[in-house]
Amino acid sequence: MTAVATSGVRVRTSHKAKPQRKHRWYVPLFFIGPALILQITFLFVPLANTFVLAFTNASTIGGGRFTGLANFSELLADTAFWNAVGRTFLYMLIAVPVLTIMSTCLAVLVNTRLRGSGVVRSLLFSPMVLPLAVIAVVFQYLLNSDGLVNQVLQGLHIVSAPVPFLNDPTLALLSLTMVTVWKGCALYTLITVAALQNVSPELDEAGQLDGAGWLRRTISVTLPQIRGTTIMITILASIATLRVFTEPFVITGGGPGDSTETIVVYLFQKGIAPGTDAGYASAISLVLFAFVLSVSGISWLISRTARP
Amino acid sequence: MKEKLIRWPLMVLAAGTVLAPLLWQVTMALKSSGESTVGFPGTLLPKHPTFENFATAFTEIPLLRYVGNSLQIAGFGMVTNLVLATLTGYALARIPFRGRALYTTVLLATAVLPFEVILVSTLLVSRGLHLNDTLVGVVLPQAVSIVSIFVMRQAFIRIPGELGEAADMDGAGPLQVFWHIMLPSVRGSLAVIAVLGFLDSWDHFIWPLVSLSDPAKYPVNVGVQYLSGTFSADQRVISAAAIVVMLPPLLVYFLMQKQVFRGLAEGALKG
Repeated sequence: MTAVATSGVRVRTSHKAKPQRKHRWYVPLFFIGPALILQITFLFVPLANTFVLAFTNASTIGGGRFTGLANFSELLADTAFWNAVGRTFLYMLIAVPVLTIMSTCLAVLVNTRLRGSGVVRSLLFSPMVLPLAVIAVVFQYLLNSDGLVNQVLQGLHIVSAPVPFLNDPTLALLSLTMVTVWKGCALYTLITVAALQNVSPELDEAGQLDGAGWLRRTISVTLPQIRGTTIMITILASIATLRVFTEPFVITGGGPGDSTETIVVYLFQKGIAPGTDAGYASAISLVLFAFVLSVSGISWLISRTARP
Repeated sequence: MKEKLIRWPLMVLAAGTVLAPLLWQVTMALKSSGESTVGFPGTLLPKHPTFENFATAFTEIPLLRYVGNSLQIAGFGMVTNLVLATLTGYALARIPFRGRALYTTVLLATAVLPFEVILVSTLLVSRGLHLNDTLVGVVLPQAVSIVSIFVMRQAFIRIPGELGEAADMDGAGPLQVFWHIMLPSVRGSLAVIAVLGFLDSWDHFIWPLVSLSDPAKYPVNVGVQYLSGTFSADQRVISAAAIVVMLPPLLVYFLMQKQVFRGLAEGALKG
């Protein structure tokens, strides 16, 4: 989209060579004004405010004095916060590779003209429109000690006692990532299928003439051509997992103990209720922003060097 | 033939993994209150299918009110998104003004800003404007999506320039050109952002959760997770409620697949 957008700008500037009709000053204002007012109020002011508050001891009900870097030095020593950071990155390390690999495999699988594949595609993409909070409620029941998964595992005598998917501190985080994968695969597979459909069949046909098998052609001919899309999915998934909130908040409430408390769950606990520390929460927000920017930046660098 | 043998079982497995949790919710919701919620495979299917859980969900838990709230929020959000994204997209595409390139860049740049980063400050702004705990306050901060603005900008850029110039010659004002010539040419994209706006509003979770303190104003998804935690939860009733929440977006998805795919793909590409 970025590339499309910039090429769009170029199209317009070439139009500028023609004498363009001048509008009165209030015409552009009429068009951009309404959205601009909302963006100033609910986007630019809060963003600027976050940068200011992070250096004060303001509470969420008001007040506050400039305290310099006090919030950040406190944050640096806050083990609960750094544990949440570690957990969030662990979440990312588990979920992102699984999401990327599964979406790619699923996309290759359903990118076919076989009868019925259209129905399978529709079903496969459908979770992307389902509200995550409700999915989370469903999976809470699903993964409970008497939920469907345990019922099946016990019914087939694979395990004798229910697996504590949500009650075991180590297992809980892993279980949550699976919810993220179940929901996320839908969108990422859709994007990958769209990319696969734009791959020209000529190279594949050439490979076929050379006698390369289907798997060989898919891995060495087709997939390299959609590398840009694969990298983009990895970036999108990384940023999405850095922001993960709904799954832990709804399914485990951050528990058991604090074993699934992510950055945003911690932020939620620190700065939402009236009377909590808005300054400190703003400092957390800025660190989260820095993480998101670094991940975007690193991914951008990788995608630049990976480009042929 | 060999392709079929490999692809078919795998596709069935994939579709089954998506369907299983949803179908399980349906069987759960149809179980009568005397039936066990556990027991595979014996009691997986309801022995005496009943709709009483749906009736309970609508009468004994405030699901009907939640649905009403959600419809208001999603409807209002859909309209604001349609109007604001179309106006802004049009200006970015076809109305030259000073700072347009800068504004376009700034809007694109905000795509890397996660809402969670400004959550606390937005809450303070909202409290300052006394919009807290109101449905309007839920909609306004996310009233226009940047994705929709750029979907519309692309749509207006694609219209050939001669179309507007001819109308200019005939002495039509900028508003007339916009309304009578430009808008009818982008009907397809309007449908895309209408669908996108509805689905987005239906899915928004963290903002309604923090900005509303009165549970009576909760939209469905906040309400259902709230009930599953506090209501001495009857799993059958919660499952019925979950199905009610998932039906509208699924319906929109299956009826408007073309629009959903276009919108979500373009949105995802922008991030």
